[in-house]
Amino acid sequence: MEQQETVFANGNELAARAARQIRYHVMGYYPITPSTQIAENLDMWRAEGKTDIRLIAAEGEHSAAGICYGASAAGGRVFGATSANGLLYALEEMPVQSGTRMPMVMNVACRTVSGPLCIKGDHSDIMYLLNAGWLILFAPRPQAVYDMNLMALKLAEEFMLPVAVAYDGFFTSHQKRKCKVFSQDRTVQEYIGSFTRRENALNVENPVTIGSYMGEKDILQNKYELHQAMERAGGRIQPVFDEYGELSGRFYKKVEGYRTEDAEAVLVLLGSAFETAREAVDELREKGTAAGVVTLLVLRPFPAKELWETCRHAKVILVGDRQDSYGAGGGNLSLETRACMQRFGYGGKILARVYGLGGTDFYKEDAVRLFAACREETACDFAYYGAEALDKNPEAGKENALRPGDMTPGLTSCSYDSEEQVMRVKGGSVRETLAMPKRLACGHGACPGCGIPVNLNLLMRGIEGNVVFVFHTGCGMVVTTAYPKTSFRVPYVHNLFQNGPATMGGIIAVFEEKQRRGEMPEGQITFVMVSGDGGMDIGLGSALGAACRNQKMILFEYDNGGYMNTGYQLSYSTPYGAKSATSHVGKDGFGKDFFHRDTAQIMAAAGIPYVATVAESNPADFIRKAAKAAAYANGFGMAYVKALSACPLNWNDKPENEREVVSAAVDCCFFPLYEVEQGTTRITYDPEEMGKKQPVTDWLSRMGRTRHLLREEYAEVVKALQLEVDRRYARLKEKAQKP
Amino acid sequence: MNDYCEKAKKILPCTDENGYYEIRMESIGGLGANLAGKMLGELGALHMGLNVSSFSSYGSEKKGSPVRAFVRYREGEEEILRNAPVLSPHLLGIFHEAMAKSYPVFAGISAQTQIVLNTRMSGREAAEQYGVQTGTLYCLDAGNLARSCKCRLNMVMLGAMAAASGFLAIEGLEKLGQESIGKKYPDLWKANLAGMEKGYQAVCDRQGFLCGKEGRQVEQLPQSPAGCGLDSMQEPYAGSFKGVIGGMNPAAGNSVQNNLSAGREGFIPVFHPEKCIQCGLCDSTCPDMVFRFRPGIYKGMDTMVNHGPDYQYCKGCLRCVNVCPTQALTKGEE
Repeated sequence: MEQQETVFANGNELAARAARQIRYHVMGYYPITPSTQIAENLDMWRAEGKTDIRLIAAEGEHSAAGICYGASAAGGRVFGATSANGLLYALEEMPVQSGTRMPMVMNVACRTVSGPLCIKGDHSDIMYLLNAGWLILFAPRPQAVYDMNLMALKLAEEFMLPVAVAYDGFFTSHQKRKCKVFSQDRTVQEYIGSFTRRENALNVENPVTIGSYMGEKDILQNKYELHQAMERAGGRIQPVFDEYGELSGRFYKKVEGYRTEDAEAVLVLLGSAFETAREAVDELREKGTAAGVVTLLVLRPFPAKELWETCRHAKVILVGDRQDSYGAGGGNLSLETRACMQRFGYGGKILARVYGLGGTDFYKEDAVRLFAACREETACDFAYYGAEALDKNPEAGKENALRPGDMTPGLTSCSYDSEEQVMRVKGGSVRETLAMPKRLACGHGACPGCGIPVNLNLLMRGIEGNVVFVFHTGCGMVVTTAYPKTSFRVPYVHNLFQNGPATMGGIIAVFEEKQRRGEMPEGQITFVMVSGDGGMDIGLGSALGAACRNQKMILFEYDNGGYMNTGYQLSYSTPYGAKSATSHVGKDGFGKDFFHRDTAQIMAAAGIPYVATVAESNPADFIRKAAKAAAYANGFGMAYVKALSACPLNWNDKPENEREVVSAAVDCCFFPLYEVEQGTTRITYDPEEMGKKQPVTDWLSRMGRTRHLLREEYAEVVKALQLEVDRRYARLKEKAQKP
Repeated sequence: MNDYCEKAKKILPCTDENGYYEIRMESIGGLGANLAGKMLGELGALHMGLNVSSFSSYGSEKKGSPVRAFVRYREGEEEILRNAPVLSPHLLGIFHEAMAKSYPVFAGISAQTQIVLNTRMSGREAAEQYGVQTGTLYCLDAGNLARSCKCRLNMVMLGAMAAASGFLAIEGLEKLGQESIGKKYPDLWKANLAGMEKGYQAVCDRQGFLCGKEGRQVEQLPQSPAGCGLDSMQEPYAGSFKGVIGGMNPAAGNSVQNNLSAGREGFIPVFHPEKCIQCGLCDSTCPDMVFRFRPGIYKGMDTMVNHGPDYQYCKGCLRCVNVCPTQALTKGEE
């Protein structure tokens, strides 16, 4: 046995450690809870000089999977990690990876698939991967996450197949346990061996075409080869497990049974619930009940024979499904268990119970109850365990809804000057618009000092009349709509955050069509699509699509410069040099290493009638621009408004100072205030003219995330940022002077 | 009790029927319960020869929202099989007293539970105030101790919990902190070390208040094994769902029913109406819409008049204090 050491770590940390020891070439990733810690840990080690894995933060999972594909096509060793909707967004890449036989290892920290949105664990994501041609290993505990990550690569490269290592989100990904890891990276590298492949995109000596266009027979042949590889891999998994056992002292089986030899009732449970159920088995055994529990450590290829051998003597098998294949009479685990047991001629009873969805905890007592169901003569074939009518469901109460008449106090109005081609605003002062009822209700759960509600309220103050919201996933939606409560007093729709502007596009199309057909009364609605800066990363395509169609909406971006809802990973808006959970500072890292995206200019280039940047530090300007945006959205087409939004938690500054920090960002011209109206640029607040212009360091010094940049060693970073900020501002001024 | 515990030198003073010693910490995001749990985990796993798991209640990363941290110990290498939250803690740390009003922080305590509560009250007063009927209660003003040492609250609580446990060595925690925080931020660690020792001393200096020698407080944590008996499994579920399908919420703006005061960390804005000029800047900076402006008369003019903050929603961020041009809002202690 090789030398090992004890660590206290969770599943994600162990997956990262395995990746570091393997020394993959590339990891393409996009943050999604609960798998994000893997990339975060690797990034931390990268900054400390402890790993040289090339980490690429993509703008979405689809691109992350594309990066992984390209990297494997280039002959690299490739690593990925995702969860839930991230896996689904990347799903179309999965059969490409397997169909063109590109090995890689991807960790899936399993989480329920939205919607409605939930970040907790179940198996509804991983089951989508069953038909993708990937090997799927399932680790029931953190130790197995480490071990399987090593074995997975071995299998991947032997069969030229991608391998997923799945484990329970949170229960396994986030629980810290005492685990063993190899002390020396060398041990790992000797175990996995070297990997070279003649057929790769970088082989200019022997060019190869990867990804041919194929006809009927060829595709049949291609899929048959994939099937054969999967079958062969099925035969090698146990030997690979055994060899690894010799190396590590930890022996795995494709199907792990606990006290099943003489068990009359057997539970089949995937993941962490297996561990919990073992305790229930011990308890029931003491009382004389012959109970046992089984888990599968491999889902693809499905270990049918091993499962049958483990369960064949039981009178009743109850399969716990942590997801449902709606309408099929069970989740995929029970469906496949039934099929497999029938194939081998099993004569007992099989029950299926959906349990633990959305991270509902699974206690020993729950396992005991499932065993009790096994003894019930009348137990039905398939049911949901734990589902009940909750009395907390909200009931309609109009007392806090806003009605059309409430929202037109007539404090702000716009008129279009067609000669000058500008929108003129009347009213809209901070004091007067106090009378505008807030579309957002009190009682939301944002952090103390959060800028999001501040910016939303300022935006809404300038907008008279009906409003319909679409929100992307992000802090803004999470803190306002936690069921059974909602903070919205006007209609609101959430959709996943690569798709908000498209979703709003659909709403607007029905609004226009219904009005045209006379199915809806005349009247105006201002459609406001709200996104964070993350939504403008992953959803930029959707935003540009809506912009090119010039659909009549306001796209409002609250830009807090990071993925704050998931613990602050970098976004493309994060300032150059800022530290985040995926841009650590250390001897090999100074923070984020590319400049913030200039989204306002990108949207302006799309040619929409109105683009504006706003800041809470200039509230009157903010309100006026909101009014103009609404006027344009109602009459002309799309308006894009971007606010710099404070995040005390992750900017790492004091909540009470946020308005000053935002003001400093404006005064240093990192976040210039301007508008592009019908193609004409106008700077609405020029710090240079006001004599308020400050160097970027004035702003950087106010936030914990950038304060390190003031140290001498980062002078070059600051200089580069200052140059970029000045260059962008100079260009803006040029545009304003020469419309 | 399992055989292993009988044979080996026992470290844990008490365990449940399966040999677990369980710890729960009740806190709000930002006070450091998560880190405290991690440290107790590492202490057990790497320095005491215990088998350990540690984790926190999972959710999105919000400051001020309730957080629970859990630690499980088992003697030696006995496997830890449980994944679910700790329902019946042997050691319970309540970091944030205000939570006791709205959350079942004392759920599942029994006669063997050592409870550490951050409060200004005495053990007797707190037991009466919160209806604690069993276990031993140690009270300390951890907030004040942390302020006096200029350290994090979690360090004071860690020291206090170590003392209350009777077996967690403060030296071990100090060593751990020295290795992690101390190496990177030596000055910061000095203050935190002092805080930890103060917490430890505060519990050592006085006897715990014996709330009761028997029984168990049965109030349940959310998501404990539900009362879902077999009934719901006999028939394909056809429950009487009362809400709107698809998880839609027709109760527009019903978050006004929420009370957010438990998320504050001790400070509030104090309103001095006589100084207010009705400029509305406070309202423009308040993320929580706490200011109640109503139509009225100010200096003989019809205008929106500030009737001050509604503390039900105030999270104590003090943004308003900073922007108020006339000091009509000032920082005050709760």
